[in-house]
Amino acid sequence: MSTARTTAPPAKPAPAVKPAPAAKSLRSRRDNLHGWAFSAPFLAFFLMFLVWPMISGAVMSLTGKSLTGANSGFIGLANYSEAFADSDMWRSLGNTLYFTLISTVPLVVIALALAALVNMGLPAQWLWRLSFFSPFLLASTVVSLFFAWMYNPELGLFNDMLANLGIPPVAWLNDPAVAMWAVVIATVWWTIGFNFLLYLAALQNIPQQHYEAASLDGAGGWRQFFSISLPQLGPTTVMIVILQILASLKVFDQIYQMTEGGPGGATRSIVQYIFEAGFTGYRLGYSAAISYIFFGLILLIALAQVFITRKRSA
Amino acid sequence: MATTTLSKPALQPKGYAETVANRRAKTPLSRILATVVVSVLAVAWLVPFAWATVTALKSETDAASTPISWIPASGFTFDAFAKVLQSGNIPTWTLNSLFTSAAITAITLVISASVAYAISRIDFRGKRMLMGVIVASIIIPPPVLIIPLFQQMQSLNLIDTYWALILPQVIHSPMVFVLKKFFDQIPRELEEAALMDGAGRLRIFTTIVLPLSRPILAAVAIFVFIGAWNNFLWPFIATNESSLLTLPVGLQTIKSAYGIQYAQNMASALLAALPLIVVFLFFQRQIIRGVATTGLAGT
Amino acid sequence: MKQVDSRPMQMTRRQLLLGGGVLAGSLTLGASLTGCGGAAQAAGNDIRFWHLLSGGDGIKMMAMIDKVNADHPDYRVKPTVLAWGAPYYTKLAMASAGGRPPEVAVMHAARVPGYAPGGLLDAWDLDLLAEFGVRPEDFGPRIWEKSQFNGQVFSLALDSHPFVMLYNTEVADKAGVLGKDGRLAEISSPSQFLEVSRELQRVTGKHGLSYGYLGDGAQMWRLFYTLYRQHGADFVLEPGRPAQVERDVAIDCLEFITSLLDNTISTKSGDGGTAIAEFAGSGSGLLFTGVWELPTMKTAGVPFGASTIPTLFGTPAAFADSHSFVLPHQARLDETKRRGVYQFVASMLKGSLSWAEAGHIPAYQPVVKSKEYAALKPQADYAQAADIINYDPVAWFTGSGSDFQGYFAENVQNVFLGRDKAADGWDAFMKRINTVLAMPNPV
Repeated sequence: MSTARTTAPPAKPAPAVKPAPAAKSLRSRRDNLHGWAFSAPFLAFFLMFLVWPMISGAVMSLTGKSLTGANSGFIGLANYSEAFADSDMWRSLGNTLYFTLISTVPLVVIALALAALVNMGLPAQWLWRLSFFSPFLLASTVVSLFFAWMYNPELGLFNDMLANLGIPPVAWLNDPAVAMWAVVIATVWWTIGFNFLLYLAALQNIPQQHYEAASLDGAGGWRQFFSISLPQLGPTTVMIVILQILASLKVFDQIYQMTEGGPGGATRSIVQYIFEAGFTGYRLGYSAAISYIFFGLILLIALAQVFITRKRSA
Repeated sequence: MATTTLSKPALQPKGYAETVANRRAKTPLSRILATVVVSVLAVAWLVPFAWATVTALKSETDAASTPISWIPASGFTFDAFAKVLQSGNIPTWTLNSLFTSAAITAITLVISASVAYAISRIDFRGKRMLMGVIVASIIIPPPVLIIPLFQQMQSLNLIDTYWALILPQVIHSPMVFVLKKFFDQIPRELEEAALMDGAGRLRIFTTIVLPLSRPILAAVAIFVFIGAWNNFLWPFIATNESSLLTLPVGLQTIKSAYGIQYAQNMASALLAALPLIVVFLFFQRQIIRGVATTGLAGT
Repeated sequence: MKQVDSRPMQMTRRQLLLGGGVLAGSLTLGASLTGCGGAAQAAGNDIRFWHLLSGGDGIKMMAMIDKVNADHPDYRVKPTVLAWGAPYYTKLAMASAGGRPPEVAVMHAARVPGYAPGGLLDAWDLDLLAEFGVRPEDFGPRIWEKSQFNGQVFSLALDSHPFVMLYNTEVADKAGVLGKDGRLAEISSPSQFLEVSRELQRVTGKHGLSYGYLGDGAQMWRLFYTLYRQHGADFVLEPGRPAQVERDVAIDCLEFITSLLDNTISTKSGDGGTAIAEFAGSGSGLLFTGVWELPTMKTAGVPFGASTIPTLFGTPAAFADSHSFVLPHQARLDETKRRGVYQFVASMLKGSLSWAEAGHIPAYQPVVKSKEYAALKPQADYAQAADIINYDPVAWFTGSGSDFQGYFAENVQNVFLGRDKAADGWDAFMKRINTVLAMPNPV
């Protein structure tokens, strides 16, 4: 910063009088220096740990690079063509989309319903926020431990409750047809508080006059919700849905921890497949290629988002 | 306090108390109904905590006996907690989590705030492009980077070090965006006066801008800290050595030679959950507000 | 920006101080904790040892380590246990590739081809081993052969743990199939095996044989490969070429297994846990299982004997793998620590009698030939299995807990369940294996 200091004093008197051209250019030179100096630390990390890996990952995806260091020759697009013919990749991608679909819907709808209910003027607001939001502060591992225990076939709380209702036990995490739903239940419990808070904040930002006018017109609570709250929440909902989709597509932790992708690959997500292709199967190059295919999918969804929001505002 | 001068209309509350009073008077029945529904759900939401706690307070025999029961046959005991704490891993992992999360938070705050300040206040060539690139990078999902980052850390010989845990986790582009928006709202006059008195940029930044930005810095810090504390995928890849693991990774990776022990499992999980729950109880308002302010900017 | 609460966003001074204090405190604490460089550095005389054994095996292993630590106070072996199977092997490879792996680890011998050629393992120094009293001739021929890869010794077997058959002596006696020596009468053909199983079923009233396999590729593969090798058939996997197998033999084996799963001899769809519970409760006369279930049965108190799986197709053969000690590749290792590792492994081999109590057959011959081992029943009854053991076909992707066994499960489980034809299941499995063989070998 010493250079910045030395250049500072000459510029000092400048604002007092009309800035001379020389002072102006001096000032802009100083600003350039300061601007980049302030940006430098972030930029360094940004280049090192974001830009560089993006580039090296792209390069790696064109090689046969292995975890052991062997076999690192350039093989063109072979990894990509292999990936597009890889049924395991498609299956993992399908699982991921399925998870995204069946988790996003409850995570948005239930969060909205909860927020709307709590916003009806319930007492002890902090208590509801505490209950619904606190799971969000848990690490995925803790959530997985809690739920794997409750899903335990013989000793679990869920099957015990089913038994009390006279329903035969369910193999929550071991039945391919049920396992993904079991993961979704745990996920909803874990992360709903986040969307709930966002909705609550949005609801409380709706100007009170809207409701007052509506109730003068004789609109009841339900009508008010559907004719005022819901339309006003439009932009928030679009944002929440998009954030939720992007978050759900990245799912890995709780699935890996609860089922390891099983039974028989029924819950394996695309991120887990990236992990396994690279680290269990040693094929870093191939894994990098799948990472980029996944990134392409995310980009597509992001573009769709831009398109949708443009259309809405147009 | 300085913060109050900052409360621009957008930041101001919306007469919430009034809202409550209003609706209270109007629809008591639906309000009662809503209270009942929300209460039932809130209780349901607490069940996993409660069941984990009860299990952790059982003996292993009781935890593994059928039919399952909320009240153990041989009474409650702290054995599981004692055993878990004795084995030594949980305290080490907690320290690791605390240290790495704090370091990540500190570095993130420093580098994000200064770049955000530069973009908000200084006219320098290329800043629009810089901001554009930072905003665009929000779209990059971290899992896409795990393979090249591992390779990078491997060639830097940093796998199984704290560096590998910390360094790649300090880039939070959405936070730069959030901070920049906040700095934009700070009246420029405050700085110009100081500038005329001959204060350097760095001094203005540290003595005027940062103190005025305490609330947003707190919000960002909270958000980053929680994220770092709970992050799983990257720490899981960057470290293997038991003494270096963070809490979430340690709990998942390291097993007991005795096999699965349910009471101890739940005791470990609760001990791992405890620090953030305590922090939450202290900083409840800030955390909730922080999530609401920074949340929509992207996770 | 959105607001949830009615108070303007602002921390009290106390909270701010507290928050800052926590942050600063944990930073200084961490700095002292990391020391210089912050790398994973085991304390001077600590030997980091990874293994994947838990439950009965884990407790035995822990006791053996404790004993070695007590006998050799100049270093301390610190064990780390990871989850059996893919999680363990993935992490071990990552740690080795990362450059700071544990000094010594346990690995299934059949997994070595996936690690050694890639430079993830260091070879054992036979001279140094001899210094600590461990020589090549202390191991059985099949085990010693397996310990080598490309002419170097990469793994030192602690044991071999074959897939065997337990029989309930009481049930067998009632069914009249127990020999005068108190052991199961010899069975030497498939039809005879079916007959005996049916006799046993008549006694128990439930099943003759317990065999759990649902969702467990390893368990399916162990039985299949035992029978396949009893035909004297080879199973060769060479990267870049289709698998060389005897299709007719394979289909024959699958059909034979399916004929056992008829809900009379054995349940059609049993998992491991159910099978063990059934045999432990005398609900069957026979159990196909790994030797590691021995302690479970002893604890259950069921009267039982053990033998290798009867030779039904001419050639004696038993599927097995070995828990072996390997040296994950170290960039550098100081000499004292290296000696510590060798001494530790030598002590573990010499002390493997207690490992035998867990059911495994010690690899170290002086232990197997001891009087104490001969007195271990029923372990001593199947000790000869070590001479007929067959490890997984050699390839970088085979071995215990590997993808290979997963592929087998994916394609063959429905054959076992009677949903698919044996030929279809087998062909699908081969197709999968050939795809893997056609891919570049990443090791």
